[in-house]
Amino acid sequence: MIQTKTQRVIGYVVLILFLVAIILPFYWMVVTSFKPNTDITAYPPSLVPKHWTLIHYATAFGHFSFGMYIRNSVIVAVSTTFFVLLFASMAGFAIARLPIRAKTPMLIALLIISVFPPIAVITPLYMLLRTIGWLNSYQALIVPYTAFNLPFAIWILRNYFLQVPGALFEAAKIDGATVFQTFYRIFVPLTKPGLFAAAVFTFVAAWTEFFMALVFNSANQMRTIPVGIALFSGQFNVPYGEIFAGSVISIVPIVILVVIFRKWIVSGLTSGAVKG
Amino acid sequence: MRGIKKTAAIAGSVLMVSGLVAGCGSGNSTGNQTSSQNTTSTKTSSSGVVDFSHASGTIVWAAPPITTGTDLRTALIKQFEKEYPNIHVQLQSQNSNTDTNKASLTTTIGGGSATPDVYLGDVVWPAQFANSQLAMPLNNVLPKDFWSRFSNGLVSGATYKGQIYAAPFFVDSSFLFYRKDLLKKAGLPVPTSWEQVQQEASQLQKSGLVKYGFVWQGASYEGLTCDFTEFLADAGGQVLDSSGKPQLDSAQANKALAFLRGLITSGVSPAAEDTFQEPQAEDVFVQGNAAFMRNWSYSWNDSQSATNSKVVGKVGVTVLPKFGGGAGYSTIGGWDLYVNPHTKNLPAALAFINWMTGTEAQSIMAKQFSEIPANASVAADPSIQSTSPVFKAASQTHYVSRPSQSPNYAQISQAIYTNVNAALAGSDSISDALKKAQQRIESVQSSAGGGL
Amino acid sequence: MQTVPAQSASIARRQSLEKTDRNAGYRMLLPAAIVIAAVTLFPIVYSIFMSLNNISLTTNGFTEQFVGLANYGILVKSGEFWHSVWFTVYYAVVTVLVELVLGMLIALAINNVERLKNVSLVIMLIPWSLITVVSAQMWDYIYNGVYGVLNYLLQALHVIGAPVTWLGSPTSAVIAMMVADIWKTTPFVVIILLSGLQMISQEYYEAAYIDGANRWQTFWNVTFPLLRGSIALAGLFRILQAFGVFDLPFVLTSGGPGTATESLAMLGEQVLFGRLHFGTGSAIAVSTVILVLAVCLVFLSAFKSMVKGETA
Repeated sequence: MIQTKTQRVIGYVVLILFLVAIILPFYWMVVTSFKPNTDITAYPPSLVPKHWTLIHYATAFGHFSFGMYIRNSVIVAVSTTFFVLLFASMAGFAIARLPIRAKTPMLIALLIISVFPPIAVITPLYMLLRTIGWLNSYQALIVPYTAFNLPFAIWILRNYFLQVPGALFEAAKIDGATVFQTFYRIFVPLTKPGLFAAAVFTFVAAWTEFFMALVFNSANQMRTIPVGIALFSGQFNVPYGEIFAGSVISIVPIVILVVIFRKWIVSGLTSGAVKG
Repeated sequence: MRGIKKTAAIAGSVLMVSGLVAGCGSGNSTGNQTSSQNTTSTKTSSSGVVDFSHASGTIVWAAPPITTGTDLRTALIKQFEKEYPNIHVQLQSQNSNTDTNKASLTTTIGGGSATPDVYLGDVVWPAQFANSQLAMPLNNVLPKDFWSRFSNGLVSGATYKGQIYAAPFFVDSSFLFYRKDLLKKAGLPVPTSWEQVQQEASQLQKSGLVKYGFVWQGASYEGLTCDFTEFLADAGGQVLDSSGKPQLDSAQANKALAFLRGLITSGVSPAAEDTFQEPQAEDVFVQGNAAFMRNWSYSWNDSQSATNSKVVGKVGVTVLPKFGGGAGYSTIGGWDLYVNPHTKNLPAALAFINWMTGTEAQSIMAKQFSEIPANASVAADPSIQSTSPVFKAASQTHYVSRPSQSPNYAQISQAIYTNVNAALAGSDSISDALKKAQQRIESVQSSAGGGL
Repeated sequence: MQTVPAQSASIARRQSLEKTDRNAGYRMLLPAAIVIAAVTLFPIVYSIFMSLNNISLTTNGFTEQFVGLANYGILVKSGEFWHSVWFTVYYAVVTVLVELVLGMLIALAINNVERLKNVSLVIMLIPWSLITVVSAQMWDYIYNGVYGVLNYLLQALHVIGAPVTWLGSPTSAVIAMMVADIWKTTPFVVIILLSGLQMISQEYYEAAYIDGANRWQTFWNVTFPLLRGSIALAGLFRILQAFGVFDLPFVLTSGGPGTATESLAMLGEQVLFGRLHFGTGSAIAVSTVILVLAVCLVFLSAFKSMVKGETA
């Protein structure tokens, strides 16, 4: 981007201000997770822990088998993300680029599905899963998560496939490529930013979903992180230390994911690769 | 006698119930008077009572965490399995948020699942759960003398239209917690009336001994219905009169609510009192920032644990007072054991309930976990009473129950706590808030249902 | 005479090519369609069906009695329902607008800096990745009227004199909830817009630069029109999510003070699982869907006319 020095400075200042605003509440969460209980509710609060403790992390792993919740969440979220990306990229491409009929009704139907309140569908879905004997299994979460995250992923990928110039599609066909080859050799690499966005949103949605996980997988060995963390609370107490410790740990995989795939979204594309 | 009734029930139940219920509006409960004795699940003797002495197999018990620290649930299961080696109990840990817990039970059992076989449920659920057939009536399957083990009033709280839907497990009772060190320093007696609580609290605050005077639960949630019901009873009023009509526009209700609002405006209770649930109130108290607190029995253990509390050894507990002096009222709280009507192992479920409400389990619960036992003989046992000051206070407590005998209790309670909370927040006047609550309850009672 | 068969042959070839493409398209749609239909079709149809019935739970499961639109009649007459509709609409419109503006600013900032990109990306994604209930509990802890750090900081900076009960009055509770929501979901907007920005070719900017366009003109004439698909997408799905807001009011205020912050999703949950009125509860869910679609259409048409107006 062509810009002057002042513009660049303004850009940095704006960005840093936003980043600070975003990080502060989270800083408070991290700090609290290292404070003993009596300090957590003390006033005035200490902005840096006076007494550091790892007790909340120890409780999360020792008392609540948090390791098992992490394993389950990883399996469910990774599988969901994989299936969603696979199916949604194909479907998004078809809707964006191929002469299929009834595109608008399709897109509206997808919108309706993703807007339908989960609380309303959870009871019939439970009966369905119980009938086919899927309760307390990974697929009890992976399949519904895939289905409910597909609409958004299709929408977002369709949007990016539309931005790839149509000339590329025609050129590939003249070269004798099949539709599917055109799709995965030309379009998929060019829409990496969109794939990244779809992947992150799907992963996070599967990673944080609570109600289905609570109801469909009630056995302790099948619990996921959000349900596990909710079990930290007692009827009359909210153990901020343990809840925040668990949440800090639950952020780590997402950070790793972003670090691995960051190139897909920032400066991943050589300039001019996409021509209008 | 019982045999005849039972036969009739079996003949009629499964087919009749669905026909009847389908024919009437939801919320209109006339369809449920026929017993819904589950006929598919178990071998019953001719009297209907299930012999569970040779029960075996696996059952699932759904229960939210009861205590912090060592888990009461697993401790009891371990002991039970030792004595009933043929029965294996699997714990399904439920969410401790009562709404979430209820939603997952409703989905599971309403969806026809056979597990959990037994679940721990709130004492205010029987009417609604009976009405929606989420709980199995237990009076026919358990012997008559089973029910005599419970403290007075508990079984009637679990009864709806002549059927008993749950076995009481433990009682939650509320108390006045106070800072005995501060009272001593200021030379003040333990208060015996609400007026005195306010006056002493204010005096302790003015002398700089403590930041806040009195903390309780004022947020917009079920707990506020409990608190308000108590203050209302202490003022001589009631939510519903004996004919079931709401009495929230009464002078007593005005007095109770004016007192609560006055606690906030006078600074005796923190300005944030209208956002307090139990944890927030306790946080302030165990930090040493409040002289008095209204809270449930669990708070005694919390206030005496050095990892959570800065007031260990400085706390006293007594019965809640009343307006004008004397022992006041505590709401009946606590948890019951319910049986899933779809259970495939009723004998084992009943064996478990029988043991859990028996003297051994109830003693473990009282002695090691300071929960108030539902079993009367355990509650009266002097060796147990001496283990916690809470038990002594509990034996002197008067109880008032919430109007949970209506299947629409959830809406009645919401009418109370949302409007009372609006008055506490100052966004509604006291008399307007009570009028609105009154009208809302009237409309809930008169409407044919629909839930709005 | 000669050209006609040639023309029709080429039309026929084009048609058969189009047919091949179309068939390939259906094949590519198939996996997604199967999964979506298998999972969502029955629950959604069932839920619509429940909304047209009086539902009772019996030992045999749900028992229905067809009542037509009676459940919707109950909604229309209910003050509680309309209150939560207005609250939800107000809440969704304000938060989504603020998020779109903030999200655009942050995405442009990240896109334009040389360094800090990776760090920004990681930091941006933290709020979004937090479990919603936990982030609500975090804000509850921050807003606490007795020991909350927000009061402490604002008092230390002399912005306020005495502790404020943020969640205790209707106005401040709504604002507090909006802040928490904007904090958590602006990153969603940023990621969509940022990936949209990445798809814009540098050549457009170079061309604009050669034409002597200033920065503002470049934004309005190049960036904004090329980003309109992404903006619409972000806005659309944020509206959907905002209409389902549940955890924040559930944890922060339980709908209080009074019922000031009771959202449609909270009311739906209350009626379904608190009051066990499945018919009316499903009617609330279906009404929410209709309402959201209406708002989405308004948003899209308003957005379209705005973009057209700017680029014309």
